[in-house]
Amino acid sequence: MNPEGLLRWFVAGRRHALPLLALLAVGFAAPLFAVIAFSFAPPRTFSPWQTPGLTNYETIFAETYYQSFAWSLALALITVIILAAICYPLAYGLAKVFGKWANAVTLVLVLPLFVSENLRLYGWILFFIKNGVLLGTLKYLFGIEPESWLFTPAMTIFGMVYVYLPFMLFPMTLGVSMVPRETVEAAADLGANRLQVFYEVELPLAMPGIIIGCLLTFVLAVGAIAEAKVIGGQSVIPIVHDIEIAFTYSQNWPLGAALAVLLMLVVGALVLVVLRRFDLDRILKRG
Amino acid sequence: MSQQSILQLRGLTKIFGQLTAVDHVDLDVAEGEFFTIVGPSGCGKTTLLRMLAGMETPTGGDILLRGKRINDMPANQRPTCMVFQSLALFPHRTVGQNIEFSLKIRGVESAARKTRALQLMRQLRLPENYYDKPVTRCSGGERQRVALARGLAYDPQILFFDEPLSAIDYKLRKTLEKELKDIHRETGKTFMYITHSLEEAMVMSDRIGVMRSGRLVQIGSPEQIYSHPQDKFVSEFMGEVNVFDVRLNGDGRLVSNAVPGSFVPPRLPPDFTSGYLVVRPESMRFLIKADQTENHVRGRVYNEYALGSRIQFQVRAGEQVFVVETLRQQMIGGRRDDDVLIGWNAADSILVTG
Amino acid sequence: MTGQTSQGMKALLWAWALAIAVFLYLPTICGAIASFGASRYFLFPVPNWGLSWYEKTFNSIEIHQLLKTSLLIAFMVTIISVVIAFFGALAFARYDWRGRSIYQKLVLLPIFFPQSVLGLALLLWFNALGLQMSWATAVFAHLVWIVPVVTLVITIQVYSFDPALEEAAYDLGANRWQVLREVTLPVLWPGIFSGCLFAFLLSWGNFPLSLFTTGADTTVPEYLYAKMVAGYTPGVPVLGTVSTVGAGLILFGGYFVIWVLRNRRTG
Repeated sequence: MNPEGLLRWFVAGRRHALPLLALLAVGFAAPLFAVIAFSFAPPRTFSPWQTPGLTNYETIFAETYYQSFAWSLALALITVIILAAICYPLAYGLAKVFGKWANAVTLVLVLPLFVSENLRLYGWILFFIKNGVLLGTLKYLFGIEPESWLFTPAMTIFGMVYVYLPFMLFPMTLGVSMVPRETVEAAADLGANRLQVFYEVELPLAMPGIIIGCLLTFVLAVGAIAEAKVIGGQSVIPIVHDIEIAFTYSQNWPLGAALAVLLMLVVGALVLVVLRRFDLDRILKRG
Repeated sequence: MSQQSILQLRGLTKIFGQLTAVDHVDLDVAEGEFFTIVGPSGCGKTTLLRMLAGMETPTGGDILLRGKRINDMPANQRPTCMVFQSLALFPHRTVGQNIEFSLKIRGVESAARKTRALQLMRQLRLPENYYDKPVTRCSGGERQRVALARGLAYDPQILFFDEPLSAIDYKLRKTLEKELKDIHRETGKTFMYITHSLEEAMVMSDRIGVMRSGRLVQIGSPEQIYSHPQDKFVSEFMGEVNVFDVRLNGDGRLVSNAVPGSFVPPRLPPDFTSGYLVVRPESMRFLIKADQTENHVRGRVYNEYALGSRIQFQVRAGEQVFVVETLRQQMIGGRRDDDVLIGWNAADSILVTG
Repeated sequence: MTGQTSQGMKALLWAWALAIAVFLYLPTICGAIASFGASRYFLFPVPNWGLSWYEKTFNSIEIHQLLKTSLLIAFMVTIISVVIAFFGALAFARYDWRGRSIYQKLVLLPIFFPQSVLGLALLLWFNALGLQMSWATAVFAHLVWIVPVVTLVITIQVYSFDPALEEAAYDLGANRWQVLREVTLPVLWPGIFSGCLFAFLLSWGNFPLSLFTTGADTTVPEYLYAKMVAGYTPGVPVLGTVSTVGAGLILFGGYFVIWVLRNRRTG
């Protein structure tokens, strides 16, 4: 490339993008490659600079890791469905109904996001545990002592719904705000009833935001570990827990890396397929 | 007003990939004149103005300011100033701070800046207590004046206007058009203006350039453009005119495929064989007898439109729809579905080619 | 029925929002209650109240060290991420360039990614490079996730930025730095400030990335987690409540500042 061409290549946009891209190359792409490299290393070793092999992948398919995978995917899916139902009315309120209070409400709902998730889950332990807030009150007022609901798969889902709520809520709110009021009014004016308006107009127009919310929630939930450990009492072992075990107790980094690679493939495929179809300018501008 | 050329464009061209936005434009702008470029959307007028202001680099040709080539001079060094379509007022600053911006950048000290700002505000009829007012709280008309004052502050040689009045309602626009013309007279500066509305251009300009697909097709005073449009495009650009194809007959009269009958031509351009005849609505009249005017046509009234002091009629004759305008007082017209006789004098018509 | 929501529906939506808010804050409230208990174990209703555990926590040297580490990391992350994100946001929304749409998707990738896996990947990568884990590697790890988030926050502000403002400033004679200082930064400032808040708070509360990359240093969330799985101690709710209240003050305080300044600008 001649000097003038080189200079023109560094147009304003590219120049401004370089620091971020450099960070992502070294901090995101490179580590992921490191993981991939590690996954081909011989088991129980601690360096990727060795002759590659597929031992780890064989191990994974031979043993029962598919169970944790299935659990993680299932839990994530259930979480997404529950959250979609819970968040839509709230998103609708924030985008269309709360008016000038929307910002204040958003602020109130956002704050918990900045508190470490472990802390928040711990609070639930205090709530549900024997002699905790809930059971202690029941014992004090009514003298009954039911079993604690903690440390079950259902509790794990409860925790996940709790932790990932903001990640479903905010993209959804953005999506709902993209539905122009006049379009809804026009549909009603043309004779549609409430349900039809929802199905024919509101839902399709809000869909980009809804999909992004579901995608984000799903992807993050698949990588969840704290909920299963802290309030699920390890009644379910999600895939990330297995990865962590491989790294700590089993001292088998390459196996952990291989598990991580498989997880990344699932996540990556999903994200690429969905994000390809979106024009981010249009979505973010409306917000 | 000096007749010296302050700005000269020679073969100015701008190409974007496959698109030629500005195509070899030649123009001389006299110092102190109000020159407007008029054209439909996409004709290249904005690109042309941006090249003159320094925000786009020409692909070819030259821009000469007082004889000096300024193609490569960046916008912040050119002694010119642009008023943008969105006005681009700094929302985080007050009226005074906006006006003083160019002076502050140049290191003028605060008292001198304020004096100049207040002087401009007086000139542009902005109340003095607006000095500390945030621009976000000013009305549309006030913001226009602030933008203009900001542009005048450091005394540029040329002011460029990128359709600043296009987003304003009719009444305010009419007021501002006249104000702009007055300010032009008071400051004596060269104004270069672009708009898509010929009407707007005619109110304010000393000269007009009609632009189409990157080329300037006609340059002249408003009067010249109005009475002697060069071709069909320019004449249709002026709004509703009656245009129909004609060819010269053996007997020196004009005949048309669209309108029955033959017509007395106005002064014939040299070598004229065929083209278009242009008759303005106000030059057409309703006739009681055919010989009241040199040319006449029989037709049927389709509809009428009240336009304030004038009434406009749509009369269909042959395949042509004629637009006839009369003053309300004259009360000669027709009602819907009436058979009528309309006509014009040859001297009131114009022949154009292509 | 038109696009207007009925009064009944409005009331329902507000009630729903309230229920969700209560749901979100309940654990934090429980934590606050527990922090005021004087006894060693948690019982509800609380038998004896007291601030003894607050005293113990504030006097602990270990806790001071934790706070310092967390603050240091959060502070570094805030400064670096806002600078990178500022330029990244301009590339995202302000300038038109080939490759922009791919760039936009790339910026989002670290956000759509399980944090614990990212933390692990960074651990492996740093190990392969032979680096020692410390607060510095944690800063880098936080940046990878937080810079894209801050970029998005600033981008939203950039979308409503009229490029003609910069052109007008040039036209009036300003050079590049003057345009940046006088026009671009002041107009984008609310977005930048929000970005700072987000960066600080997200770094302060982060657990998964810190866990794998801080090495010998420990942050507040890491310490809390270790204590949590070891068994109940009132020190945990105390530190947790202090941490939460601090975050709340910063967030609400920050937005209060923006609100006041915005009103002063237009009012």
